[in-house]
Amino acid sequence: MNTKEIGNHEGFTQINAVQNNERSINKLFASDLLSNVMGQTNEHDCLLTMLNNINVIGVASLNDLSCVIFTQGVQVKQELIDKATELDIPLFSTSYSTVEAIVALTRIDANETVL
Amino acid sequence: MSEYLKEYPIERNDIGNAGTIASLTKRTLKKRGFSPEFIKRVTIGVYEAEINVVIHSYGGKAIIHVGDDLCEVTFIDRGPGIPNIEDAMQAGFSTASPYAIENGFGAGMGLPNIKAVSDEMSLESSEDGTTLNMRFYKH
Repeated sequence: MNTKEIGNHEGFTQINAVQNNERSINKLFASDLLSNVMGQTNEHDCLLTMLNNINVIGVASLNDLSCVIFTQGVQVKQELIDKATELDIPLFSTSYSTVEAIVALTRIDANETVL
Repeated sequence: MSEYLKEYPIERNDIGNAGTIASLTKRTLKKRGFSPEFIKRVTIGVYEAEINVVIHSYGGKAIIHVGDDLCEVTFIDRGPGIPNIEDAMQAGFSTASPYAIENGFGAGMGLPNIKAVSDEMSLESSEDGTTLNMRFYKH
């Protein structure tokens, strides 16, 4: 899976413009605790979260995550969008819950019909 | 390569800049050719310690020393200190403020994570302040 496929997936909207829009994704990781994200994610992972603060982008950059998906219809703050764009990190939003989003995304690789 | 020694101030509750020292340290280690595994360990340790000073203390500083085969990091704050270090070292134990928790911090994993990633760690605390020292060796 890559970030372009997420953007093309029904239910997911890319909310910033980045130069590298086709980043590969190793693993999906969901958490709203930044220590957890910091310690458990690796380069090219995709973070799903409802946490809407600037440190999410900081951690995504520190751990070289491929993208961040904000779930449950979170209205992402402009400062996050600006910072992610500056760092070339794709951001997505979805009205799916975190669990629904993971189920939908795992079906991309399986080539199944989504929710 | 010459030794790298830098000191960075840390302001109380400056959550917007939290992670800056970790980011700069990571960049320095990358430039010096340390392995991704080593860089990851140091970055986690510095990030967690930096967050701790931001959300728990009255402010302080970080001293980063990078040699050929090690990275030594010291965080010194101006209080109010850790009442019980044994409790603070337990995973999940937290005294974080609602403000810190709203911002995704305060899971009670900071010190346990630091212990897990560092090769040596020492922690001293009183009402006047806390000093945390971490050493990371290139294996």
